[in-house]
Amino acid sequence: MSWISTLTPWHWALFSLIPIGIILLYFLKLRREAVEVPSTFLWKKTIEDLHVNSLLQRLRRSILLFLQLLIVALAAFAMLRPGVRGETSSQGRLVFLIDTSASMQTTDVDDDANRFERAKRLVSERIEAMSDSETAMLVSFSDRAEVLQSFTSDRNRLRDALSRAEVTNRPTDVLGALKAADGLANPRRTSQAGDVNDVQVADAMPADLLLYSDGGFQTVTEFDLGNLTPTYIPIGSGDVTNLAITAFSAERNIEKPEQVQIFATILNLGTGQASATATLTLDDELLDASSVDLPVGEQAGLSFSIESEEAISLKLALDIKDDLAVDNVAYAALTPMRNVSVLVVTPGNTPLEIALSTSKAGKICQSEFVPPEYMSTDAYKQRSESGNDDLIIYDRCSPETMPRTNTFFIGALPSNKVSNTDGTRSDAWKWKSEPSSVALIDMDRTHPLMRYLELFSLLIFQGRSVEGPAGSTELLGADIGPMLTIAPRDGYQDLVLGFELISKDADGATQTNTNWYAERSWPVFILNVLRYLAGAAEVSGAPSYTPGDTVRLRVESAISSVDVQRLGDKPISIPVGPSGVTEIVETDSPGNYRVKSGERIVDMFSINLFNRSESTIAASESIELGYESVEGKVAGVEKRQEYWRWLLLGMLAILATEWWVFGRRVG
Amino acid sequence: MPATATDPLLSPELLGRLERLELVSRKVFRGRMKGERRSRRKGESVEFADFRHYVAGDDLRLIDWNLYARLDQLFLKLFLEEEDLHFFSLIDASESMNFGDPTKLRVAKQMAAALGYVGLCRADRVSVSVLGPEGRRAPILRGRASLWKMLAYLDSVQSGHNVSLHDGVKEFALRATGTGVAVLLTDLMDKEGYESALRMLIGRRMDVFVMHILSPEEIDPPLRGDRKLIDIEDRDEAEITINAHVLNKYKETVQAFMNSAKHFCSKRSIIYIPVRTDTPVETIVTRYLRERGVVR
Repeated sequence: MSWISTLTPWHWALFSLIPIGIILLYFLKLRREAVEVPSTFLWKKTIEDLHVNSLLQRLRRSILLFLQLLIVALAAFAMLRPGVRGETSSQGRLVFLIDTSASMQTTDVDDDANRFERAKRLVSERIEAMSDSETAMLVSFSDRAEVLQSFTSDRNRLRDALSRAEVTNRPTDVLGALKAADGLANPRRTSQAGDVNDVQVADAMPADLLLYSDGGFQTVTEFDLGNLTPTYIPIGSGDVTNLAITAFSAERNIEKPEQVQIFATILNLGTGQASATATLTLDDELLDASSVDLPVGEQAGLSFSIESEEAISLKLALDIKDDLAVDNVAYAALTPMRNVSVLVVTPGNTPLEIALSTSKAGKICQSEFVPPEYMSTDAYKQRSESGNDDLIIYDRCSPETMPRTNTFFIGALPSNKVSNTDGTRSDAWKWKSEPSSVALIDMDRTHPLMRYLELFSLLIFQGRSVEGPAGSTELLGADIGPMLTIAPRDGYQDLVLGFELISKDADGATQTNTNWYAERSWPVFILNVLRYLAGAAEVSGAPSYTPGDTVRLRVESAISSVDVQRLGDKPISIPVGPSGVTEIVETDSPGNYRVKSGERIVDMFSINLFNRSESTIAASESIELGYESVEGKVAGVEKRQEYWRWLLLGMLAILATEWWVFGRRVG
Repeated sequence: MPATATDPLLSPELLGRLERLELVSRKVFRGRMKGERRSRRKGESVEFADFRHYVAGDDLRLIDWNLYARLDQLFLKLFLEEEDLHFFSLIDASESMNFGDPTKLRVAKQMAAALGYVGLCRADRVSVSVLGPEGRRAPILRGRASLWKMLAYLDSVQSGHNVSLHDGVKEFALRATGTGVAVLLTDLMDKEGYESALRMLIGRRMDVFVMHILSPEEIDPPLRGDRKLIDIEDRDEAEITINAHVLNKYKETVQAFMNSAKHFCSKRSIIYIPVRTDTPVETIVTRYLRERGVVR
């Protein structure tokens, strides 16, 4: 029998006043009903016979007082928490490793809410069974380890630390936790192993390693247990049901950005056949559904197709009650047309201005017009270096060095050079013809830039054919040669138009060189440029991250802070760093996240488990730690048998008896 | 039907039955006047007792002349003398007697009245009095016609004469002349003890009867729990928690008290008669007292 006092000595001192108070109150408050009798003669004679000691006699006489004191005594006894501990095999030092990974949310345990609660209870029981000479530390681990409590023999601190542990949606990596546990048991050496002069920096302190987990992690090989004696307490059963979504993504059709293709992979990771209906919802609106019926270990691919130009947040849910719920839902998002920043260097170009400020272009683009002289300022140099602009349009001018972004040259050539085979460097772009009138004869309609365009009615007064570097693509062909060419440059793309829109005559008066600006195809072309060249339309979906990942996003540097909102939750404001980089760490819950600046969606991402090993929830019977195989130990885990509940029940029973006796006396 | 203070002490039926009874004295006392009781003394009643020789000075009227004619000797014919009996009823009218329903005092009065009436019917000298100074004004009665006087006196008797048994009896012993039958009607609840009082009566050579009157509430009190008991007489308080154990002990104490009284009395030729107030007076007088030889 051992005792755990839940009260401090000071508390006990206060507590001891209670029975004294009860006795005092008993005598003070005892209201004796006065009764007249012919003579107290015989009564006194009676009492005299009974009296040995008046006080004790009175106390003995009062069963109520006795019962009350008994209640207090039982309460005190209960507060001492008497208990019996089982067999002990402890080395005096314990390391509790408690698994908080997503698979611990599995609900295949009978008495507790999930595996994690079971693990917590077992750890708690073992903590209660600790003797005063034992010390323990508590480490929780998911994809990262956290030392909740370092070595202590204070059970209260261990209990507090345990209550802080929470199950996460993260994958498992036990190595960090093992390294944390390893610290004291296996002190590092001062130098290389095998050195004769090698001394240990500290005495090794052997410890028991108690691993409460379902074993759902990779075999650990790069770890030597050394002085740690591992005990694996498997949580959960080997017979489970689990359908998991292991992949879910949405992509825009590169040709037709409004078309969205959605793909999902569903895997049966349980130990029996399972079937479910997968429902696809867009902002809680049902889009499509498909049923899956999978044998053990099999997987199925689902695909859906929808149309949307807007930003969309998709959710795929499996309508099944299996043991692990977190992998039954997957999220994906598609960004809308991006807002792009365009710098236009021009001596003046009204058609371009108009085309960049149409209602549709205005939604996705922020344009800034600067004269060619701007190119000699430091501000321009900084801008072109940083690549903050998504596109720079050079109208009849050319920079000395090419900017770190995509460019569109109108009536001018990029200034970049290419190395020739003989070692010399030459201009990458060249005019192939002298200025002359232009008749368009060919157009690459498959290229995204040229979609929806009808250009053969154009009148072009003067133009020159363009020759791009190797790898360039001719988009528009004229009788004199390529008129619109696109070519890659160090990961960027340069688009060159061979004719001017507006030209100046010898007198410096503005003249139109083409009627394109009056055509319907002109704003469409500019929109295509914005979408494709400036990157306003992203074809792939928003990225998906694992729970707990730090999400780094690059937003426009003009934004000082963004609101990150998991759909359905409250937004959190996060500052943006100087270079437009923001880091989002609150990513523990799976879901679709939107990054907003004001009302505008800046970016989107989703958090999904998508972890096959986490979704494989059947508990392992043994695990590999270092080079040791550790068998699961279910029985014999030390546990403290406590009696305080019985004492409290006894207290209640006595209280009831006291009432009964009291009622009988008064009645 | 519970007897109340306004009910007559003795019912007409009871009076009728009492007329046929007679007080018995185990001792023969010398009466003061002629009564209906045969005396050891030879006297002038109609009941023949003996003959004896005439001696000078004898009353010539008592000579049996028929015998003188036959035997030529003078013989006196002796008759038994009929005398009266002194009957004393002593009522303990302390506050403790004013308890129960009917009160012990009322039962005591009824007993005193009943016995007194028996005595009056037999022309005995009857004295009914309360213990204490109040007893001095008690009338001495003789003859059936004195019944109403006796009852009037008894009616006037109230409780509250908190005189100890010893003092009360001593006062009586000093006041009363002559010997006779003394019936003490009391609950014997005297913290100073009853023994000295009884001894005093014995010392007066009385034929003593003790009627120990107890109410059922005293014998088996209906009390439970934490109580503060207050003595009616001296307001003495006793705090007690009454449970079954204490109650049993109390009953044992009561029984022991009664037994010790009985033992004390029987050792001194005192007739001890326990009387419960819930027993009708008729039953007590016509059955119990007859059985105990108080009346016949």
